[in-house]
Amino acid sequence: MNDDYEKWYREDRLPHIYCPGCGNGTVINATIHAVNAMGWELDNTIFISGIGCSSRAPGYISTDSLHTTHGRALSFATGVKMARPDFNVVVFTGDGDLSAIGGNHFIHACRRNIDITVICMNNMIYGMTGGQGSPCTPVGAISTTTPYGAAEPVFDLAELAMAAGANYVSRWTTYHVKELTKAIQAGLETPGFSFIESMTQCPTSFGRRNNLRTASLMVEQMRTCSMLIQKKNRLEAEGKPVPPHRWTVGEFVRRNRPVLGVKP
Amino acid sequence: MQGNIACAEGALAAGCSFFGGYPITPSTEVAEFMAKELPKRGGVFIQMEDELGSAGSIIGASWTGARAMTATSGPGFSLMMENIGYAIMTETPIVFVNIQRGGPSTGQPTMGAQGDMMQCRFGSHGDISIIALVPSSVQEMFDLTVKAFNLADRFRVPVFLMSDETIGHMREKIIIPDEVEIVPRKLLEKGELPFKAGPDGVPGFPQFGMGYGVHVTGLTHDERGYPEATNPEVHANLVKRLVSKVESKRHEIADYDLVNPEAETVFITYGPATRTVRQIMHDHPEKNLGHLNLRIVWPFPEKLLEAFPNVKHFIMPEMNLGQMVREVRQHTAVPVISVPKIGGEMHSPAELLAVLEDLS
Amino acid sequence: MKLVIDENRCKGCNLCITVCPYGIFQEGTKLNKKGIIVPVLDRPGRCTNCRLQHLYGRRLCGLCQLTCPDQAISWVEEGPYEDHIVVIEY
Repeated sequence: MNDDYEKWYREDRLPHIYCPGCGNGTVINATIHAVNAMGWELDNTIFISGIGCSSRAPGYISTDSLHTTHGRALSFATGVKMARPDFNVVVFTGDGDLSAIGGNHFIHACRRNIDITVICMNNMIYGMTGGQGSPCTPVGAISTTTPYGAAEPVFDLAELAMAAGANYVSRWTTYHVKELTKAIQAGLETPGFSFIESMTQCPTSFGRRNNLRTASLMVEQMRTCSMLIQKKNRLEAEGKPVPPHRWTVGEFVRRNRPVLGVKP
Repeated sequence: MQGNIACAEGALAAGCSFFGGYPITPSTEVAEFMAKELPKRGGVFIQMEDELGSAGSIIGASWTGARAMTATSGPGFSLMMENIGYAIMTETPIVFVNIQRGGPSTGQPTMGAQGDMMQCRFGSHGDISIIALVPSSVQEMFDLTVKAFNLADRFRVPVFLMSDETIGHMREKIIIPDEVEIVPRKLLEKGELPFKAGPDGVPGFPQFGMGYGVHVTGLTHDERGYPEATNPEVHANLVKRLVSKVESKRHEIADYDLVNPEAETVFITYGPATRTVRQIMHDHPEKNLGHLNLRIVWPFPEKLLEAFPNVKHFIMPEMNLGQMVREVRQHTAVPVISVPKIGGEMHSPAELLAVLEDLS
Repeated sequence: MKLVIDENRCKGCNLCITVCPYGIFQEGTKLNKKGIIVPVLDRPGRCTNCRLQHLYGRRLCGLCQLTCPDQAISWVEEGPYEDHIVVIEY
């Protein structure tokens, strides 16, 4: 953690519009620390985002940035990276932006293994528009469009990225800030499509309707409900029952599939 | 040479270095040619997973400084509308080639039509203004593609080449000049605000990677580029500028042929119907017909209609059920006879002669 | 070094209180002029970074700064010791 990371923030735009206790601010901190630790230049790094609370993040970062249409951030990122492979491209996106409307682009970006890093702030809800359910809203959770409890199964974004061919996939929560920062840095270093999913607290839209009214309560829940992937694999290998309602956190995959968009 | 290939050659001559596309009949030949030729010249071709991805990728590439284009047809065009609106709002210079086919919906993939003329102007939501060019020959497919890139870079607006399957799949001899005129985009001066326009209404281009630190967003933004979505004045100023930067120059950039302005019966055409009218005028000089062939259809240059002082009737043959005729009728008191034709075939000289017979 | 919470940026989410492993923060009691109850430093002497950053030459712990969603926490050089009044409740 070095102190010159301040240059990455647009200081004149802070304090930002996020609600008190929003996890997005934490994820931005982790990303900026990781990007700075990589030694990247401001002029060479491009941040791209879709629409939503997560996607307001590039507006607070000093580099060139593209705030695009809902779900399409990955196609814009593909265009930027393929036209200029020497740029470092980082994409901020949310769970609805990535998996619902942007699902097709997500699958193909993983398949192409294009050399960008995607950070998904998964708050399990559509936050900016008031709290509608998303494909990642847990079963039974209340949201404005699922007033009787969400009925659809949850989308496991990390598993999807792994199956579609991403080179680096990991998931952490905003409680595990240090591991999240290290995971983002590993993703930035790994050539190919790097996907880091962060379970993020949204006390205003999700927490308020689901008995987790403060950010602290949600973060406490993240601590208790996370399970390291190594532990889960071990329990399954030993045939012991895996406790339900747990997020698997950790590094899912790191591999060396062929990459698109790296400067030769 | 085929029309689609001429269009691709024109793009390469103009310096196009990025093509993000999705195959759709009848525009696939453009993509296939670019797939073969672009890598030879150090450009990038990528086949995206759908048309929305295509539009997104070319906008992203354009921001890195590349001249980018895509080619599509009706159904794909409808899919791209949101990203077209984004390109207009962020003032991204890109070229869309629409080889129109019979619509609506899947329609006639292998037959020509001109049913998207209103869609290119009004298809995306909100108040917008764009530039649309219509070729009527294979040579024009080449020339107008080059012109499209120059206009896009000058006005920082998406430019549409509204061709159709008839011209796209036609084969004619063309002349490819050794050098074409390329008017590159004006870069932003350091220290200036990224979205503050000069007197011509177009700001300098803050290309990525040159230290501008620009934030580009589709939200209503102020001159620094930051979102300012709840301020009525900022929004009004921004959208008015986006529309007027194109509309105010509609007569300056107008590209047309005006034949026999003294005539009493004048044809107004764009695209394939031009060829039919030229044939009639060649065969029947005694009928004293006039002809206005528009190569730039949007923004519509209405003052050209006043160039015919003796006109009693305008006749507009179109390969749709009457789209541009609405625009003409708004701007003239002279009766305008619409000759719509759908089904995929061009107007034949006999049909237009029959219309002339009915008139007299 | 001294830990400082920027009152301009803090939104009173109290996450720093939850995550600090040394428990140096405590919920504040007074509203500031933005209407936020900013956390106060209950036991600043237990902050590892404040005490040892100079010794190790790099940021230690720093969980509060990383977690704070509003980038409100920073460390500044401490001036020479100033007398202050201590209130003891018993």
